[in-house]
Amino acid sequence: MPETVGPGCAFLDYDNDGWMDIYLVNSGPCDFFKPSKPLRNALYRNNRNGTFTDVTEKAGVPGNAYGQGVAVGDYNGDGLPDIFLTQYPRCILYRNNGDGTFTDVTAKAGVAAPGWATSATWFDYDNDGRLDLFVCGFTEYSKEKNVYCGSKQMRSYCMPNAYPAVSSWLFHNNGDGTFTDVSKESGIAKELGKAWGVVAADVNNDGLLDLFVANDKVQNYLFANRGKGRFEEVGLWGGVAVNAMGLARSGMGVDAADINNDGWLDLFLTNVDNETFSLYRNRKDMTFDDLAIPTGIGAATMPYSGWGVKFFDYDNDGDVDLLIANGHPDTMVEKRIHGVRYAEPMLLFRHTGDKFENVSAKSGPIFATDLAARGMATGDFDNDGAVDVLVGVNDGAPVLLRNNIGRQNHWLGVRLIGKKANIDAVGARITYQAGDLRGSAYKAGGGSYASSHDPRIVLGLGMRTKIDWLEITWPQPSGKVERIDKLPVDRYIIIVEGEGKWR
Amino acid sequence: MCPLGRRRHLLLPVLALAIGGFVASGQAVPAAKPPARPAAPADPIALALARAEEGYCKENLPVLRRTMHRLQDKNLQYKAGMTAARCAMGMRDGTAVMEALLLLRTQFPQDPEVLYTAAHFLSSLANQAAQELARTAPESHQVAKFNAQSLESQQRWEDALAAYRKILEQHPKLPEIHFLIGRILLERAATPDAAEQARAELLRELEVNPKNASAEFVLGEIARRSGQWDEAIQRFARASTLDVGFAEAYLALGMTLSSASKYAEAIAPLERYVKIVPDNPAGHYQLAIAYARTGNKPAAERELELQRKTAEKAPQRRAPNSAPPQ
Repeated sequence: MPETVGPGCAFLDYDNDGWMDIYLVNSGPCDFFKPSKPLRNALYRNNRNGTFTDVTEKAGVPGNAYGQGVAVGDYNGDGLPDIFLTQYPRCILYRNNGDGTFTDVTAKAGVAAPGWATSATWFDYDNDGRLDLFVCGFTEYSKEKNVYCGSKQMRSYCMPNAYPAVSSWLFHNNGDGTFTDVSKESGIAKELGKAWGVVAADVNNDGLLDLFVANDKVQNYLFANRGKGRFEEVGLWGGVAVNAMGLARSGMGVDAADINNDGWLDLFLTNVDNETFSLYRNRKDMTFDDLAIPTGIGAATMPYSGWGVKFFDYDNDGDVDLLIANGHPDTMVEKRIHGVRYAEPMLLFRHTGDKFENVSAKSGPIFATDLAARGMATGDFDNDGAVDVLVGVNDGAPVLLRNNIGRQNHWLGVRLIGKKANIDAVGARITYQAGDLRGSAYKAGGGSYASSHDPRIVLGLGMRTKIDWLEITWPQPSGKVERIDKLPVDRYIIIVEGEGKWR
Repeated sequence: MCPLGRRRHLLLPVLALAIGGFVASGQAVPAAKPPARPAAPADPIALALARAEEGYCKENLPVLRRTMHRLQDKNLQYKAGMTAARCAMGMRDGTAVMEALLLLRTQFPQDPEVLYTAAHFLSSLANQAAQELARTAPESHQVAKFNAQSLESQQRWEDALAAYRKILEQHPKLPEIHFLIGRILLERAATPDAAEQARAELLRELEVNPKNASAEFVLGEIARRSGQWDEAIQRFARASTLDVGFAEAYLALGMTLSSASKYAEAIAPLERYVKIVPDNPAGHYQLAIAYARTGNKPAAERELELQRKTAEKAPQRRAPNSAPPQ
């Protein structure tokens, strides 16, 4: 079954040259799979001219098992992005050495998370300024426990209900290169699930990062961070666990953003065909309303099975749009369900106030191209301010999409560096004013599916040529609010916590 | 959310005919696995069973009918019920068939042979009634409607639409035809355009028959799917008023009121729904949310527990995994 659900992908700047590099996950050897020719993951260095160079061997990041996803984060705070790979049967943590190479530090770090891991995210759950790690667990699976599904004539991949649910992992960063598995004492391990996607975001504005976890045929979990290292699962109360009929769906990808600029984070969830995806509006009391129907998302997503998903301002007009990568997990689905396809096109929605308009048909031929898409990452690989997209395709070549529309508007790209707050500034919020435009952006941990994004935030300005100010609310333990003005446009800047200026 | 094609209005007349003594097909349902001969033929029930199986239905059916309801031995009750059903079918005694099938459906609801026998009987009954209808009133709108419904069941949408529209040419005020056209339009294509066309047909239906609760319900569902909460609420409320037993209308009304953040108002229809349909997790979930958001946490907890229990028993939408080959 792991064959049907990868791969993830990532944008990262592994050599800190200011240009996004690419990491692609592949299905390497394991007990149930012996590839006829060597298979490995790939790290591509950005040549700054629209091409990339495969540097995997030199970097030493090939993976060593059946790869699923990737989460990038600077766990040791040295200013260099490290790579965590989710795999079956064990995960890997590659520490960035700063010289173009990485070292496998999994054993020392203690983050192997044995079993079948899918998505993962770096976030600072206890506000100690260090990035901790959440890893999604998807069912109890091994070669020995593999179940035969299908008929005598034709074997097919199993539905998740063939395998027992498992708990996910939470690892506390000890600050010395090691981690402690706190899954049990945090309350995370209490909830057994079949987790595909995770996003870390402070949905109740209490200064503590919560977790929204998509489960397949098990209710989704909203882990409310109660402080002191404890999480409480409140998905059912929150209205995000099941559908309106009270039944668990096939949750896969998730993301979080403040879609209506009210200061409260909203959530998104992808499911399989005929379940519709969900857009959850935050009611500001840890409960949510599903706006899929009134926003048009429901009808538009009905036939699709979504994995990677990301809120971002693709056209830089100052509001949050939505991109979804689709593909049914069952290779035999076309024989089973009329009108549902294994490979499906991606969907792009433009935010138009109360609605999300499906603009896929007028956004380029890729949106009419069928893909078995899985992981999806956003990042500006050509530094033109238009956020591009990388898609991991199951049993196929990856897709790198260049955004041709975002550069038609003005923008400002911001890289945040935390000092007292976690260095990646996960949990930071930016608000900004550009003439009549009041915009905002939030740096969530993770989001999408099995993938990791450009750490920089692009603020869309529309046709406005000036940005009056921006205000950063740094995550705890800082919590500092910094307002910065005299800002440039149409370029990237760096803002370091506490410096009160940009560079 | 809710099935657009509600079958109960179609099924009820068939059952009424059967219970009223309608003559069933002359062909008895063949037994897939004949019951074993009872071990103690001295027992009057066992004797009646044995004799009925040998073809002496007329003499032994009355004994089976009298005793099958009170048999404690489930195996014996199953055999008595099945034999009574088969005998009654052979004797074309519709009332006795229904009696036996109702017993079997109550006591052995998941048994494939019981389900097959029931389906076979009702299907024969329907065929026979249809043939008789065609024979006695070949030019009637009922025959035309029956043919159109047959086309609809084969998903021959264009043919079915043409057949319904032909009926309207001759009987423009005939109830239910606009509703059926609207239903096809929605089934055929899930597009905004189709929904608008269906809506127009359903409004025409209400002009012809203002008491059509199903038309109100589907209009409500079209409005709900486009996020027009006020109209949806109005339609669902009217559907539940026109047909007080219309469970789905209460659920839809409650859900839509919740969608419109009118949680306090959602409670009454949802409470009504869970009373009528206690085994659907949807009702309990929606009611839990409505209670929770109006501050009644104990009631919300109770309903969430019922939601969990009923959801565990609910059928999975995605196909279950097949058994491995033996």
